[in-house]
Amino acid sequence: MELFTPEIGLVFWMFVVFVILFVILAKFGWPYILRSLDERAEFIDKGVEYAQEAKSHLDNAQAEAKALLVEAQKQQMEILHEAAQMKTQIIEEARQAASVEAKKVMDAAAVSIEQARKESELQFRREVSQFALQIAEKMMRKQLSDDKTQVEMIDKLLNEIENQN
Amino acid sequence: MRKQIAYIVAFLLMAFSFNLSAQEMSGTEEEQAFNPKETIFKHLLDEYSWELPFSHEHKISLPVIVRDYTGDWHVFWSHRIDHGQQYEGFYIAQDGPNKGKVESIDDQGNRYRPLDLSITKNVLALIIAALLCLWCVLSVARWYKKKHYKAPRKGVGAIEFLIEFIYTGVIKSTLGDKAPRFAPYLLTIFFFILLMNLLGLIVIFPGGANLTGNIAVTMVLALCTFIVVNVKGTKEYWKETFWPDVPMWLKFPLPIMPLIEVFGIFTKPAALMVRLFANMMGGHMIILSLISLIFIFGAFGAVVVGGITVISVLFSLFMLMIDTLVSFIQAYVFTMLSTLFISLAQAEGHHEGKVEKVKK
Repeated sequence: MELFTPEIGLVFWMFVVFVILFVILAKFGWPYILRSLDERAEFIDKGVEYAQEAKSHLDNAQAEAKALLVEAQKQQMEILHEAAQMKTQIIEEARQAASVEAKKVMDAAAVSIEQARKESELQFRREVSQFALQIAEKMMRKQLSDDKTQVEMIDKLLNEIENQN
Repeated sequence: MRKQIAYIVAFLLMAFSFNLSAQEMSGTEEEQAFNPKETIFKHLLDEYSWELPFSHEHKISLPVIVRDYTGDWHVFWSHRIDHGQQYEGFYIAQDGPNKGKVESIDDQGNRYRPLDLSITKNVLALIIAALLCLWCVLSVARWYKKKHYKAPRKGVGAIEFLIEFIYTGVIKSTLGDKAPRFAPYLLTIFFFILLMNLLGLIVIFPGGANLTGNIAVTMVLALCTFIVVNVKGTKEYWKETFWPDVPMWLKFPLPIMPLIEVFGIFTKPAALMVRLFANMMGGHMIILSLISLIFIFGAFGAVVVGGITVISVLFSLFMLMIDTLVSFIQAYVFTMLSTLFISLAQAEGHHEGKVEKVKK
């Protein structure tokens, strides 16, 4: 029955050793370890949370970027469309302006041509009348040179002119 | 005897290749009239000196501290009283009720047992286990001081894993908010028991002492839990003990329930004490018996010894593996039950009192 009778010496030393061990560990070991464990667990939790947040931020940013891109493409299309429209409009306008201008020029040309034609007609008539007069003069000169009646007629004409004045 | 496991390895080689020498060795054991009971108990119990491995001759001499009947203290090395020698009137009793312990004779000629506070094999093993425990735990603390949020590696990581396992798995989940108050005690208990258990499994010098299989050691541990439970117990706990919430007839004329409850206060630590003691002592005893078999069969010649050796070694290897597991489980169970008893004594409010009953 030796096994079941506690030895007083061993009880004493066990108590002493255990109390010393407990005091040392309770003062320098456990509080520090447990606090650090908790702190580290919290730190890791925070890190994970932060990472998740960052990821969601990133996802959002990507979605936003995509939306922006789509928007930009749309705007680009619109702008291109507008530009095309504007182009046709401008061309149309230019064409109209050009035709107006051309008409103006044509009209002016027609007017000047008319004028020129009238002028030339006038001049032509003048020249024709001069030619006729010259011809008539030449013919008259010949007949007048040797005829008394003609002198008389000239006199008569002169008289008429004189009378007119 | 546990040192002889090492002998067995040598035996295994010799039994088959050198029949002669094996016969000689078993012969010498026979001559010494091998007494298994004595050998087993010698190794289960305490000693005044510590045998070095592979030899019965070389021992570490340890201080013997005794107080005689006149009240004088005597301190001397244990080799002074080896082999039946007498020193300053003290000797190791070879028979009688104090067999194996230091005895002396008083002036009337009666044999008596002096107050014996010797640093025995078990005490030295205790101190070694405590130092190892200090080193283990403080190395983790030092790691945290040096490298704040870095995860520990290797040994420190393993210890930290154990701490985390006990702290979050047992202490925090049972005690809740009160965990930090009791965690230092419970964690110290766990690591100290675990190290004592494991050191007991190592056959040679720094280990090999049957510490947690010694009732004095488990008694002190259980006593500490008893003190913590009852000193830190709440009012509600004491009310539940002496005036529990049961029908009047169970507590008024005859205090049946209070008696049971008070009895329970003492049976709880007693169960702790016996459980750890019996488990560890049993494991040691089985291995010692298995090894003893080899020497018991020593008389039957080389072939039988060889066969028995192989079987014994295989079985004791298996038992050692189980004991390694048991070492951990018993440390865990002791811590878990201590936590549970503390949490029961921390009962607050009426509702928790009922939960306490269910748990019991």
